[in-house]
Amino acid sequence: MTDVTRDSAVSQPLLGILGGIYAIWLREVKRAIRDRGQLIGGVIRPLLYVLIMGIGLNPYFRGEIYGEVRFVVPYTYLQFLFPAVIALNIMYTSVQSAVSTIWDREFGFLREVLVSPMPRWAVLLGKILGGTTVALFHGTLVLALAPFADLPLYWRDIAQGLGLMFLLAFGLTSLGVVIANRVRSFEGFGVFSNVVILPLYFTSSSIFPLDPSLTAAQMRVIYPEWLVLLVRFNPVTYAVDALRGAFVHYHQFAPSLGPLILVGVAALCFGIALRDFTRS
Amino acid sequence: MSAAVAVEALVKRYGRTVALDGVSFAVAAGEMFALLGPNGAGKSTLLHILCTLLKQDGGSARIAGIEVRDNPLGARKHLGVVFQEPSLDVRLTLWENLEFHGLVYGVPLSVRRARMEEMLHLVELWDWRQALVRTLSTGMKRRLEIARALIHDSSILCLDEPTVGLDAQSRERIWNYLAQLREKRGITLLVTTHYIEEVEPCDRICVIDRGRILAEGSPAALKAAHGKAFLRVIGRDEAAEADLLAQYESRASRHGADILIESSGNAFVESFLAANAGRIKRLSVEEPSLETVFLSLTGRELRDQAAGARERTFQFGKQGGEHTR
Repeated sequence: MTDVTRDSAVSQPLLGILGGIYAIWLREVKRAIRDRGQLIGGVIRPLLYVLIMGIGLNPYFRGEIYGEVRFVVPYTYLQFLFPAVIALNIMYTSVQSAVSTIWDREFGFLREVLVSPMPRWAVLLGKILGGTTVALFHGTLVLALAPFADLPLYWRDIAQGLGLMFLLAFGLTSLGVVIANRVRSFEGFGVFSNVVILPLYFTSSSIFPLDPSLTAAQMRVIYPEWLVLLVRFNPVTYAVDALRGAFVHYHQFAPSLGPLILVGVAALCFGIALRDFTRS
Repeated sequence: MSAAVAVEALVKRYGRTVALDGVSFAVAAGEMFALLGPNGAGKSTLLHILCTLLKQDGGSARIAGIEVRDNPLGARKHLGVVFQEPSLDVRLTLWENLEFHGLVYGVPLSVRRARMEEMLHLVELWDWRQALVRTLSTGMKRRLEIARALIHDSSILCLDEPTVGLDAQSRERIWNYLAQLREKRGITLLVTTHYIEEVEPCDRICVIDRGRILAEGSPAALKAAHGKAFLRVIGRDEAAEADLLAQYESRASRHGADILIESSGNAFVESFLAANAGRIKRLSVEEPSLETVFLSLTGRELRDQAAGARERTFQFGKQGGEHTR
C-alpha cells in the first residue's frame, strides 16, 4: 500500500502543478493591483525622470559644451534617458515584489505553500513569474511617455522591447528573492532602494552616456577609471543598452551582448534562488 | 491498516539543545489525539516534522504509512495543517484564500467549489466570503484556516494550538466544528494545546515536556494513574507561608503566589485545617484533574510565556510598515 501511494505522489500530474503555479502567480498580481502605493510609485517615477529630469537636462546634451563640440551623438538626452527609465521602473517593482517574500515568511503565509504538495521549484517559479508580470506592466507604463521623448514607437520595437523587459524583470525578481532569503530582520523597503536599486541604476550608463565615439583610452581621460569599470561590470548596463537598441536603435556595445547577458544573469539568479529555496 | 500517524524514537536537535528526545506514539485513524505540554515542550517541533517543514535528526515519522523524510510531497497530500500563527493572505478575500489553497493542492474545479461552499457553511463564514481577510477577527481567521485545511482530501488534520488567543466562546465553537468534522468526514485529529480543560473530549492524550513523553492514555486513565488532589493555599503573611512550607516540606511547593500541598484525602484536609486554620488567608481543594496530572508529572503548572523575538518585526508590520500587506 505504501508503494502505491508513493508512486502516485511522485508523479503529481503536470496539470496540477501548472494550476498551482497559476494560483501563486495570480496571488502576486492581485496583491499588486490592490497595493495603491506600488501603483502610484510606478506612475510617478517615470513622470519625474522623463518629464522633469529628462526635459530639464535635455538642452545641455547637444554634443557641445561651452561651444566646444565633444560628442556627436545620434539621439537627444530624452531619447537616451527613456529606455533607462523603463529599466528603473522594472527594477523597483521587481525588487519590491521579491521583498514581499520576507513578509510571506514573517506572517506565516509561506508555510501554507511550503506544506502543500507543490514542489519547491514550482512555488518559486510562480512567485517570480508573478513579480515579473507586475514589473513588466510597470515597465510598459513608461511607454506612454514616449511622445514626450520624441520617440516614435513601432510594433516591432515594442515586441522586441517587451521581450527584453521580461528578461530583465525575471532576472531582477530572482535577484530580489535571493537577497530576501538572506535578510533576517527587515526594517523597510528604503534600505533595498538605497543599497540595491539606486546604485545599480546610476552605474548602468543610464543617466550619463559612455560616449561611443571615444576610444577606451579617451574615455578614461574624461571619466575616472573606477567609474568606467563600475559601469562595465554592472549587468544592468547591458540591459539598458539592449533596451536602447530596441527603442532608440542605438547600441554602445555589440547588439547581441545585451540579450546574452540578460539571459545569463536571469538563469544564474533563478538558479541561486532555487538552491536557497529548496535547501531552507 | 496502518496507523494514521506513527512516530518512533523521534529526535530533533537545535545545536546543542535537544528539542525532541526519542518521542514515540501512534494515532489510529479517526482518533482525536492531543499533545499536551507547556510552551517549549517540543510540541510545535514535532508538528513541524510531521508537516515536513523540519527534518528529524533521528527516528521515523509516518503519515498514513508514508515516511515524511523520504516522501514529503506524498505525506503532505494527506495532511491538513492549521498553524499556531495565522498563515492566511490578509489582502485576499476569504473565497480567494480557499481558491488558492484548492489550486495549490490540485483539487479539481467542481470538487473545489463544492467543498469551499460546504466548509464555509460549516465554519459559519459563508456570508463573509467576499470580505478581505484583514477585516476578520482572530477567531474568524482561525475558523477560516480550519475550513481551508479541509478543501483538499486531507485525512489527518494537525492543529497547532488552534484556540490560543481566542475568547471562550470562539474556543468552544472551534471544538464544536472539530467534533462535527470527525463525525462527517471521519478525519483523524492531532491537536497540540496547553489549555488543559480542552483536552477532556479527546480520545487520548500525550503529555510531553522537555522533548520527552511523560504519560499517555485516555483522560480518565491519566487521572486515575497520575491525578492527585491538591490544596491550594495562600498564607495570611509571609511568616505563615514559610511555616507551612517547612511543615509539609516533602509534599508542598510554591507556584507563583500559591502554595500547593498534596492531599491524600478528606482526612488530610481536616487535619490540615485543624492544625493551620490560623495561618490561612485562602484555601481551595483541587480534585484530581488533568491539571493536577500535569502538575504531578512535570512539577510545573501550565502557563503562558512571553512571546518570542520575532514579535518585533511582526509588530513593525502591524503598525503598517512599508509594503507589508
